[in-house]
Amino acid sequence: MANGGPVAQVDVAVVGAGPAGLSAAIEAASAGSAVALIDENLWAGGQLPKQIHQFFGSRAHRAGERGYHIAQRLAAEAVSLPNLEWLPDTVAYGIFPGLRLGLAHSGVARELAARSVILCTGASEKSVAFPGWTLPGVMGAGALQTLVNLHRVLPGRRVLMLGAGNVGLIVSYQLLQAGASVVAVVEPAACVSGYEVHAAKLRRLGVPLLLRSEVAEVRGKESVESAVVRSRDVLGDVAAHSEREFAVDLVCLAVGLSPLAELAWMAGCEFAYEPRLGGHFPQHGEDLQTTVPGLYVAGDLAGVEEASIAMEQGKLAAISAVRSLGFAGAGTSHRRAAAAARLAELRGGEREFSGDAPEATGVMLPGSMADEVRLSRGPVAMIDCTECIPCNPCEAACKRKAISIGRPVTNLPVLDADACTGCGRCISRCPGLAIVVVDMSVPGDDALVSVAHELLPRPRPGEPVAAVDAEGNVLARGDVLKVRIGHAHTPVVTVRIPRDVAMRVRGIVHRRVIT
Amino acid sequence: MNEDVVICRCEEVTEGEVRRAIREGAGSLTALARHTRAGMGLCQGKTCHCLLARLLAEETGINLAEARPRTARPPVRPVPLGAWAQHE
Repeated sequence: MANGGPVAQVDVAVVGAGPAGLSAAIEAASAGSAVALIDENLWAGGQLPKQIHQFFGSRAHRAGERGYHIAQRLAAEAVSLPNLEWLPDTVAYGIFPGLRLGLAHSGVARELAARSVILCTGASEKSVAFPGWTLPGVMGAGALQTLVNLHRVLPGRRVLMLGAGNVGLIVSYQLLQAGASVVAVVEPAACVSGYEVHAAKLRRLGVPLLLRSEVAEVRGKESVESAVVRSRDVLGDVAAHSEREFAVDLVCLAVGLSPLAELAWMAGCEFAYEPRLGGHFPQHGEDLQTTVPGLYVAGDLAGVEEASIAMEQGKLAAISAVRSLGFAGAGTSHRRAAAAARLAELRGGEREFSGDAPEATGVMLPGSMADEVRLSRGPVAMIDCTECIPCNPCEAACKRKAISIGRPVTNLPVLDADACTGCGRCISRCPGLAIVVVDMSVPGDDALVSVAHELLPRPRPGEPVAAVDAEGNVLARGDVLKVRIGHAHTPVVTVRIPRDVAMRVRGIVHRRVIT
Repeated sequence: MNEDVVICRCEEVTEGEVRRAIREGAGSLTALARHTRAGMGLCQGKTCHCLLARLLAEETGINLAEARPRTARPPVRPVPLGAWAQHE
């Protein structure tokens, strides 16, 4: 499919401007190579612009930054580099011998010759085929995020979410933020596979998490009207009489992603297969080079993991590419080692739970809450964090160094209640919203609790709210005392509630989100 | 089996048709495509390839790793034919 005319030439062509591609292009251009960054969309960022939650990880991983902000920052950096050519609205429709890319932009095809190519094409959504899955109103979670977070369209008001991995949990929460109600999250496995803190945010908002369950059928004439959910027993057989029908107008599938590898197949790469990474993906070494010399992969294409990992892989792939092209300067080895170390840290952690039950039940661990003496002295933080995931913004948030995590960053936080002044700075800096501040020292029968609250309408001083526990049970009526805006635009609401329930409060509900 | 459930939405190929094709000898995603057109529509199998692979594994006993996608040919995204009519 070559056409005549001069062929442009670059040192490094990056296909896909998501977190991996942006990171790769910035790294390669910073090393002095001529870079072309290609994306089929008009904007850069890949899946990042749709992510409105604060990211996990450590400071080095940009933890505490909302996904869309990371995208803005990386895109701005990329276009500011003089030897980086940004090619939006450009499809890489094929890859040909000699690492030549076929591109199509504004209805015109051209070729791009590159000395090395880094494929960062991401992944696409998997499907589940139950009766009724082709009705309007059944859609993938990624598609739903695009509609809601990019186009500001809410395609349904009552949603059933299938899948309790991070995508299903995060998108469910975003649907609540957008004003929809999530009638249930359905998960075939015996436990959620996403982070427990994401599940906890849903639990305290009263969203049922139905484990060992599946969608049997979706019903409706012209579009989704209801979904039938059933469960299975421990042997995997359908549990008798377990069918429940939910009236919904939207069924969202968050059932996994699969690398978008057509260009890699076309180039002749050898592939590996790993179900936990999405299926088939191009074989690659630690340097992210595939079995085709000069062809690298990064991000979900290299195996579905997450955005932070994509960014580190993008850097590593670019470093490998520029090294082999002779652009490596002083400091390249150090940068490579640093990126590799950050990658290992992100993948570390057994995701163990420190307790018998994997759910956050609001029962604090020793080391995460204060004793009665300290509680009576004034406000103090309570940290409901029970899962070992790579995350430590709370440690950096505390100016008194009252929260420690140390290394590895998968350690659970330990609170020094005596050093804690209850200032509440940590509340808005926990990406999992797992920290509250309680003040039992106020006179009378009341106490004060401060919580992060990311739903609209924003509560106002004087308004009544419902104070809820970790399971979403309403404990008492609370009265809003004050609202301040914390880190990353997160509202922190202080409510006055009865003393006897104060220690169990994990959130507030301004209006019932579930009908 | 859900005979009438559509597996390939783009080409409207049902589970029943896919299973029948496999039993008649279509033992790969490529063969299934030739037999039924499953995977040859607008999305080029992005939506259905996992579903087809699972059916293949169920019917023939191959494992999912062996159910490789069809040969990738350009263009991997729809491109207007006129794009090549202009030289650049």
